[in-house]
Amino acid sequence: MNILIPHTWLLEHLETNVTPTELQKLVSLCGPSVERIYDRAGDSVYDIEITTNRVDSMSVRGIAREAAVILHQFGHSAKLKPLKLPALASFKPASIEDELPLPKVTLKTPACHRVLGVVLKDLQRQPTPKLMATRLQQTDQNIHDAAIDITNYITRELGHPCHAFDYDKIMSLGGEIIITEAKPGQKFITLDGAGFTTVGGEIVFQNPAGEIIDLPAIKGTLNTSISATTKNILFWIESLDAKKVRVASMTHAIRTVAAELEEKQADPHLAELVLARGIELFQEFCQAKIGSQVYDAFILPRSPKPIKISLKTIETYLGLTLPITKITQILTQLECRVEVNPNQHSLTVTPPTFRHDLEIPADIVEEIARIYGYQNLPSTLMATAIPVDRPRGLNFDLEFQLQHGLANRGWQELYTYSLVSEALAQKSGWPLSKHLKIANPLTDDKVYLRRSLLPSLQTTAEEMLAGFPAGQTLKVFELANLYPPSNTAEELPAESLQLALVSNQSYREVRGELETLFGQIYRSDLSIKPNAKNPDLAEITLSGQLAHNQNQPAQKLGSLHRLGQNWWGISLTMSELVTAAQTHPVYQPAPKTAALIEDLTFTIPPLTPIGSILTTLKAAHAWISSVTLKNQFQANSTFTLTYRHPDRTLTNEEIAPVRRQIVALVVKKLALKLVGQI
Amino acid sequence: MSDLLTQISLSAAVKAAVDQLTLANSKPLTGELEANRIKFFGKKGWFTTAAGAMAQIAPAERKIYGQWLNQVKTELETKLAVLAKTAAEIASAKAEEGWIDWTLPGLQSAVGHLHPVSHAIEQVTRIFEKIGFTRVRYPEVDWDWYAFESLNMPKNHPARDEWETFFVETPVSSKKGKVVLTPHTSNAQVREMERLKGRPSIRMINIARCYRRQQDATHTQMFHQFEGLVVDKGITIQHLKGTLDYFAEQFYGPGTKSRIRPFHFQFTEPSFEVDFSCHICGGTGQVKDTEAENGQRKCRFCKSGWHEVGGAGMVHPNVLKAGGIDPEVYTGFAFGWGVERTYTLKPGLQIDDIRLFYSGELAFLRQF
Repeated sequence: MNILIPHTWLLEHLETNVTPTELQKLVSLCGPSVERIYDRAGDSVYDIEITTNRVDSMSVRGIAREAAVILHQFGHSAKLKPLKLPALASFKPASIEDELPLPKVTLKTPACHRVLGVVLKDLQRQPTPKLMATRLQQTDQNIHDAAIDITNYITRELGHPCHAFDYDKIMSLGGEIIITEAKPGQKFITLDGAGFTTVGGEIVFQNPAGEIIDLPAIKGTLNTSISATTKNILFWIESLDAKKVRVASMTHAIRTVAAELEEKQADPHLAELVLARGIELFQEFCQAKIGSQVYDAFILPRSPKPIKISLKTIETYLGLTLPITKITQILTQLECRVEVNPNQHSLTVTPPTFRHDLEIPADIVEEIARIYGYQNLPSTLMATAIPVDRPRGLNFDLEFQLQHGLANRGWQELYTYSLVSEALAQKSGWPLSKHLKIANPLTDDKVYLRRSLLPSLQTTAEEMLAGFPAGQTLKVFELANLYPPSNTAEELPAESLQLALVSNQSYREVRGELETLFGQIYRSDLSIKPNAKNPDLAEITLSGQLAHNQNQPAQKLGSLHRLGQNWWGISLTMSELVTAAQTHPVYQPAPKTAALIEDLTFTIPPLTPIGSILTTLKAAHAWISSVTLKNQFQANSTFTLTYRHPDRTLTNEEIAPVRRQIVALVVKKLALKLVGQI
Repeated sequence: MSDLLTQISLSAAVKAAVDQLTLANSKPLTGELEANRIKFFGKKGWFTTAAGAMAQIAPAERKIYGQWLNQVKTELETKLAVLAKTAAEIASAKAEEGWIDWTLPGLQSAVGHLHPVSHAIEQVTRIFEKIGFTRVRYPEVDWDWYAFESLNMPKNHPARDEWETFFVETPVSSKKGKVVLTPHTSNAQVREMERLKGRPSIRMINIARCYRRQQDATHTQMFHQFEGLVVDKGITIQHLKGTLDYFAEQFYGPGTKSRIRPFHFQFTEPSFEVDFSCHICGGTGQVKDTEAENGQRKCRFCKSGWHEVGGAGMVHPNVLKAGGIDPEVYTGFAFGWGVERTYTLKPGLQIDDIRLFYSGELAFLRQF
């Protein structure tokens, strides 16, 4: 959360002569990050990021307190000015005639930790005083009139929300504030006129008739808010359960400064200071009179637990030894109570109530280290042993190798969302019911965890091609997880890393790309097995029949998909690729004899798979060392045959009968017709 | 052909002219152009003399003689034309023979491109591998226990509510709670401790997709983080600083510095914001500007000389305990940063809209 603090306002709480720029630099090193300084209305306004655990710093005084300690550490003169406010007991009506009855307060939830209130009467409605208005504007707050703006001013100054009810409205609605948790379906209208319905569980103030008269710590309601005619107010502070405040604020999307402070556990002990400061300002700027005793029900005071910490622990974290006097000085400046234990080896530290974030020794280490200055600690690499126990089944080098290989061959890598729309999920080949669904999606196009990368890739690729002339080819790939649902509540989805490729090239080109990819990992035994039931699907396997090793296990690697008219998709399971990949070839000595190479062209009957012709030709004679498809034209296909004898160089005369035998075989077995004569 | 001419009867003068022509035609011409022209084609030139003899030739032999004359004429004219070129023209002609237009644009090979996130992931992996980090991979869809509970995040922590984290509609584990999309890579911390059965040393780097319920120019519902975790005896804040300085120099280049400032995370204590010095202004927050009054102006690329990269901290004792490690014996540090954010702080990669990474914009992707 970021907060704006004008420099001159800060100086009302901090005594220093440090310049804004220097203050920004030094406070950022050891405390909250002062991200920017704006020049507004002649003043430097700090824009400060406060971490969620440091609600104590979310105010002018909170920053002044931090700055005082930090600047002092850097050798500057800096001091937190004391806050001189009267004790609550001193606030009383001037006379019995001035006294108005306080509304009855009834507590029906343990989620309320403190309520504090006082009636202020006979307010003179005045414009917001100039200095207050300037400061509120400098900190991006709206200006109303003094009676309303005082509450916003004090909240920024001291860091605890407060509220001013129209006292007469409260009394006319029954004169009772019932602090309770809402039932579902209750209606209320906030002071800006927006209507809401409770979901149940919100802390609300109700009147005896069950009407909601406030959404405490978040926003006031219209029926009790100050209007132009309000003369008497109930100045009020509550401290509530932080989680309940956040749930209500987020559920109804009512995000206010008050809610942000309260959900971060603003210190309930601040309430009396806020009340006293408020009374003072209402008296000064609205000539308000005190109309009641102060009501204070402190149900759950904070009682910070002492933390015992050894000096050895501090040394372990910092890597150096700090004198005990230095440590004690830092902690005391941070308003911790410090006792050095009799053995001088440890301390007992009791934090102030506003530092609820300090709970364990490591928290104390942090306070010492940051104020001492992280910039004062040396920088060094670890001298400990390098771990060698690595996880099994992962091969990041192979992933990089495949990614680079594809990119080098013209493939464009994409990163698409793991979350997909219902329409894309349905294209995965799995029914929606077999997808994991997000319970709280942010947008309709990202609802299901995908079970195939291909629909995302194809959709993206088609969009990419939209601006190009027809006939443009595109090759895209992605390495990402699939998320099949688990079978039981005690198992997680079996995430599976996939390498997916989508292209609008021809089948031969796409298959060639696949063969090249497997060649990269030294596997020449790729086999594509058409699916018997789905004509658009084939299985990608490795047969295990390698030239140097016929006994490799057969392995299913993934699938090849025809995606409509123009697109092809390949999906490979990375864990299978890790198993299949070889890091180097098995060296094959060059043949000692020359090969005889020739082409044969056949006319092929329709629907004859070329693969079966290649297999038949290859198996036709022991001298045939390889057969490849050279080219195709209409019904004719030309094959290149390589003949080789292991011990001697073959002659044309020797090949002639073999050639006839081969041709006869394919003519008879596959009904091919030789083109030309042999 | 000139052999044939010996059989044709010619007068002595014509025969001399024919012999001279034959001789001249067998080698390049030398000397002055005009002298040569007169020598061959002048009124008393050799060619004129030889051509004038046509009437003397027997009708049956005139065809052969005519053909010879034409050939000789053509060749001599070609040689005279060569002689007519100036020395500069000769030099120019020679240059044209081997001339290459070096300014022609190239015909590039059809290469593809790795995604920028892959570039970043590979660089990060290599940098940390060099100092002994082991890269791991853990679930992106994980139990609440690993994403939050074991990381010391209280049940009412805002990060655990439905406004910041995606929950998966699936049965709740009796031991490990709800299933979430990991909002950070920190779920790897306790998982890595468990993998090593609570026995450090640990130097882990985990790089993965993460998910948060936010979407604008600087946030996408899916993004990437890398997470470092070091646990051993005697690990101090100084080691974290050393690791950050090492990474800064390796990733952003020599001279880049790191610094840590106080911050807050539930799973580290102390916690830090990590900054790297700006490469534009060298960490000063000021750049030279000759038009400015004092010759300098504020650096527009950074906040006061530094870039916030992400979080880090000393591993919280409760996290070590959750991973079965005794915090009285071991300490450690962890850091986790956005891959996209870290990468785009490199010089020249100021990409304002993170959504570009997941847009499928070819014009963007082809630049990497």
